[in-house]
Amino acid sequence: MPPRLQLLQTWSGLFSSQTPSLAPLLAPFLLPVQQQRAASILSSLSDNPGAYSKKIRRGRGPASGKGKTSGRGHKGQKQHGKVPAGFNGGQTKEEITKGPRGFLNHFSVNMSPLNVDRLQDWIDQGRLDPSKPITMKELNDSRCLHGVKDGVKLLGRGSNQLKTPVNIIVSRASTSAIAAIEAAGGSVTTRFYTPASIKRVLRGQVDPVVSLQSTIPRKDLEYYRDLAHRGYLSHLLGKNDSPSLFFRVPGAPGSKKRDGSKKKASAAKAENRIW
Amino acid sequence: MPQPILPSQLTRSITTQTTTPTLDLAQAYTASSLTTSATAPFPASPSPIGPQSVLATLYSFPALEPLRFQSYPSTHLHLPTRRDILHRAIVYEGDKTRLGTASTKWRREVHGSTRKIRPQKGTGRARLGDKKSPMLRGGGVAFGPKPRDFSTKLPRKLYDLAWRTALSYRYRKGELVVIDGAMELADPSPRYAREVLRAHGWGNAQGRSLLVTEGGEEEREFLFRAMEGIGEEGRVLSWEEVDVKDLLELGRIVVERGALERILEEHQSDLTKTKRVNGIP
Repeated sequence: MPPRLQLLQTWSGLFSSQTPSLAPLLAPFLLPVQQQRAASILSSLSDNPGAYSKKIRRGRGPASGKGKTSGRGHKGQKQHGKVPAGFNGGQTKEEITKGPRGFLNHFSVNMSPLNVDRLQDWIDQGRLDPSKPITMKELNDSRCLHGVKDGVKLLGRGSNQLKTPVNIIVSRASTSAIAAIEAAGGSVTTRFYTPASIKRVLRGQVDPVVSLQSTIPRKDLEYYRDLAHRGYLSHLLGKNDSPSLFFRVPGAPGSKKRDGSKKKASAAKAENRIW
Repeated sequence: MPQPILPSQLTRSITTQTTTPTLDLAQAYTASSLTTSATAPFPASPSPIGPQSVLATLYSFPALEPLRFQSYPSTHLHLPTRRDILHRAIVYEGDKTRLGTASTKWRREVHGSTRKIRPQKGTGRARLGDKKSPMLRGGGVAFGPKPRDFSTKLPRKLYDLAWRTALSYRYRKGELVVIDGAMELADPSPRYAREVLRAHGWGNAQGRSLLVTEGGEEEREFLFRAMEGIGEEGRVLSWEEVDVKDLLELGRIVVERGALERILEEHQSDLTKTKRVNGIP
């Protein structure tokens, strides 16, 4: 190490008149250590702190918090042994008197959220290629998403940070996210994916953009027909079509007219009535 | 990241991590490489990451002459050091290796009668049952150890990741020396092997070395025989005998290229799609 040798020279120069033999004495301390002790990594290995829970040591003194009664309270069967789960002391069981609580919503979806700032961060790190379309496959492969549940929903957090124009294909997108991507010069397309197709896409067996054939539930169909959601089926809509399959666009031909002609006709009918 | 003052070719010791030597030495000393001033305040966003690879230097064995570079994927030799994964792998191996043969006799297994050794009442002494009570000398052991299986489970993909993480850790620290061809000595004497290890700075003073060969004791006869006598300087194992703890234990790993590639190939189940049934692909 050159700096230390320089230090040695200046040091010896300073004290040369008084103690000419100081430099050789100091040399072993100023020179770098030749032999380094090999420290194995084995002693510094440990699992992540959150990966395991510390064992509760019951009955090991008051400082443990589970000392005196070991968390079992006082007296009786509960202290000394086991009581069957849900046992009410011989009364009618709780699940019979109360019944199950809540319900399972079969229609709810669990979308994996993807925020715009994270997207930009991944592009800045070079982990996503903005020159190619970004699909759930790219997002998952780059670990921008840690797995895709029922789809990917693009959200607008940190919209002002997005600078790169991207072409992104996701399951759903929020209004603010669409606005942010398009303000940066990019484009958003939302596509329908079944759970099975998500699996196939992530495995690379199926193209995420092109080859998807499946029956789409009515509500999803309405979502992806809507241009406001940048749905991939929005091109199917005619000029006066509504994304909804039930309600027509008010004022469009074919929608119910609330003009006065019918009223007049009924009024005339009423006048011509004999009785 | 601060730029290194010296070009990488000069700072290298025996390490195997290198960059492709495209720069001439004189060129590497130009002023631009020495100044770290902020000429570009906004660095351009990096180019998209494709499959990455790292280079390892291949050496000849006893002479340790650098012969050529060999490229390996970053997913194999340049993984981040995940101490938690290494820990889990080593605990798993330790559990698996544990014999669990400790055995004692409980009171019912001790040879002897179940006769009551003295009357219940009237003797003025303590109540006792049979002779084999754990309380008595010569009695059984209360809840003593019995042979059992201590092995724990670890997902195979995680274990394979730990293997490559361990090798990557060694590679990054410059403690992975890859030998081209067979690692064999000309002489089976331990003294010769000791001289070879000490000459390269691989001996006891530098934390010992693990030599990993592709062939076993028959193929590398002299090396195995020589190393048997000098355990204080290092160990030799064939690639099938090594585990993750071995890879991290000693000062460095000296590994044949064939052995390294066999290990990497064996331990990449998290990257490949092959299905295994009872460990067989």
